[in-house]
Amino acid sequence: MAKVLIVDDEPHLRLLYETELRRAGFETMTASNAAQGLEFVDTMHPDLVVLDIRMAGMDGIEALQRILERNNSIPVVLNTAFSSYRDNYLTWAADAYVTKSSDVTELLSTVKNLLDERLAHRN
Amino acid sequence: MAGDNLDPAREALIAEGFRGSRQPMILVDVDGHVAAASAGVAELAGVSREVITGSACADWFLPEGAVGQCTLLGGCQGGLRRQAQLRNVNGELIPVEIVCSSFHAEPLPGTGAGAAPDDDVRRHCFFHVEDIRRREHDDQVRAARQAKLPLLNQVSEALYGAHLTLDQLQQAILICVTAGQGLRFNRAFLLLVDDAGTILRGELAIGPSNHEEAARIWHDLADRPADLFEMMTSYDQSIKNTNAAVNEIVRKMVVSLDRTDHILVRAMHERRVARVTGDMTFPGADELRGWLGGGQFAVAPLTIRSGPVGVIVADNAISGQEISDLDLEFLQMFANQSAAAVENSRLYRELEKRLVDLRRAHHQQKEDQQTLLRMERLSVMGETSAIVAHELRNPLVGIGGFARTLMRNLDETDPNHRFAAIISEEVARMEEIIHDLLDFIRPRKMLRQETVIDVLVNETAERFRGELEGAGVQLTIEPGCGELALECHPGEVQQVLQNYLMNALQAQALGGQVIVRTSALEGGLKVEVLDSGPGFADADGKRLFSPFFSTKPTGSGLGLTICAQIIKAHGGVTGAANRPEGGATFWFILPLPRS
Repeated sequence: MAKVLIVDDEPHLRLLYETELRRAGFETMTASNAAQGLEFVDTMHPDLVVLDIRMAGMDGIEALQRILERNNSIPVVLNTAFSSYRDNYLTWAADAYVTKSSDVTELLSTVKNLLDERLAHRN
Repeated sequence: MAGDNLDPAREALIAEGFRGSRQPMILVDVDGHVAAASAGVAELAGVSREVITGSACADWFLPEGAVGQCTLLGGCQGGLRRQAQLRNVNGELIPVEIVCSSFHAEPLPGTGAGAAPDDDVRRHCFFHVEDIRRREHDDQVRAARQAKLPLLNQVSEALYGAHLTLDQLQQAILICVTAGQGLRFNRAFLLLVDDAGTILRGELAIGPSNHEEAARIWHDLADRPADLFEMMTSYDQSIKNTNAAVNEIVRKMVVSLDRTDHILVRAMHERRVARVTGDMTFPGADELRGWLGGGQFAVAPLTIRSGPVGVIVADNAISGQEISDLDLEFLQMFANQSAAAVENSRLYRELEKRLVDLRRAHHQQKEDQQTLLRMERLSVMGETSAIVAHELRNPLVGIGGFARTLMRNLDETDPNHRFAAIISEEVARMEEIIHDLLDFIRPRKMLRQETVIDVLVNETAERFRGELEGAGVQLTIEPGCGELALECHPGEVQQVLQNYLMNALQAQALGGQVIVRTSALEGGLKVEVLDSGPGFADADGKRLFSPFFSTKPTGSGLGLTICAQIIKAHGGVTGAANRPEGGATFWFILPLPRS
């Protein structure tokens, strides 16, 4: 079962994504800030990271760079309320960019597609 | 000789003293005869001193006894002053003033011939004779000047005090030159230097064209009050219809300032009033007589501090009256006043114009400032609402997300299922509003423009030529798209090509070859950068465009990722391959708009 790391500083949203991703059949782990997220990337080896951008402390853009420095084959989905980050080329290094919505369908399908792709590539 | 108490030696001395004196003086003896006469008296009488000396005073002075009487009667205490007349050699009577002073004869030292003064009350007397013709003339002139001074004062007030337009001012000047209460010229012409400073041009004239008109005007104006303000307004009405002829003349009066010897130009530059009589000849005189009709005329320069601005020409063409020195003097005084007033009016007008401009600019600035403030306020409001809207997204995701979860967990028959559905629908509506508000603007897309790709590629590659050739890399450009153009962000596409070229350069640091090639495809166009370097390991091929992948020790690994994202944003694709003949090819394909 694929492991998805959710990095978001909003506890309710962490719970929502956790609930929905588990329901869709993924194993999940959550981090409430970027530093903790990086630590889990190192220690728990997730297959994919769902990363918020606006967070207290280190933001998602810096976290993205650090994750890819550790392991550039890990897919990262930027999941943010701010659509304007799409214009920041530093976000282009992510594998996907999803604008937050109460309808998590887009997030779920993006995660699923990226993991399928990765799996197909590995085989 | 009884009563003769002046010794001859003294008389001779006095005669010697009188000989060369320009002062008109006589010494009269006790018998009323001239004992000595000065050269001044002789000149006044028109004869030599010898003729007068010894003659009876009564031969020369009227009325009888005016001179010498005191001598005959004695008792003169001196200081007497009386009006009399001197009959000169031609029989003309010259008005003179006589001042008598008693002559006390002290005996000359060493002669011892003197008698005691109180022996005889009769004495020699001195008479000082003054020709008062000149004084009368001077008095007349003084009186005339005094009479004109209030007028000049009025003129000055009128010209400075009233806010006249330049046209009104010019007219007022000419009215003053011609008015009976003014300078009394028959006609006046005003000529001003044009704005370019090259020509003296007739502007305005005032005056009757013949005797009948003149008589009518002068009659009309005889009863008018002397107040200049009223005069200027009433005069204006009265002469309005009679200026046709003089204005016809003034329009012909055009003199180039190059003609420095022309009487008008000369008067202006010498800053001196000039009177020109009919018989004088000099440059420009005939021309002026042609305009004015041949009589005497006066020219007065209008001068201000910075130089001459024009002239007033005035004459008495109708009455034929001589132009006197006094007339000239007043014309010049008046011209000076007028010039200053004209300049004043010009400056005032200029100032007014600037003031209007300044007010307009000020007003505009105020408006701009308000607009700016409004825009700033709007912009701040816009930014604030954008932030608020973004921040609202997170709680909405929570609310709506869990409502959906709830909905799914509840049985459809459960009324709470419907309530959860309502929450999730309402949240979706709010998210829709935020999406419409924030997510529709794509600034990067707005920067796209129609670009001829070969031009862009050529420019970019040429910019790199120096750097490539410096490293021993030969650059060849093979454009193949002609005039093909597409909508793109030229700066971004350029960035991609630069990145490819930089990679090609770094891949063959010891020299080699780079080809930049463009070609048209069906529905798109391809840009390739081919190098003759070592190529890349086949295993790296798929990861070349991945983030943070780099085969270079110092690379960030983002270069090619950004390239890929840019091309993707344009709807295109990127790729790389090893060339069979050695080296690598990096390419991108951009779609052409469907026609």
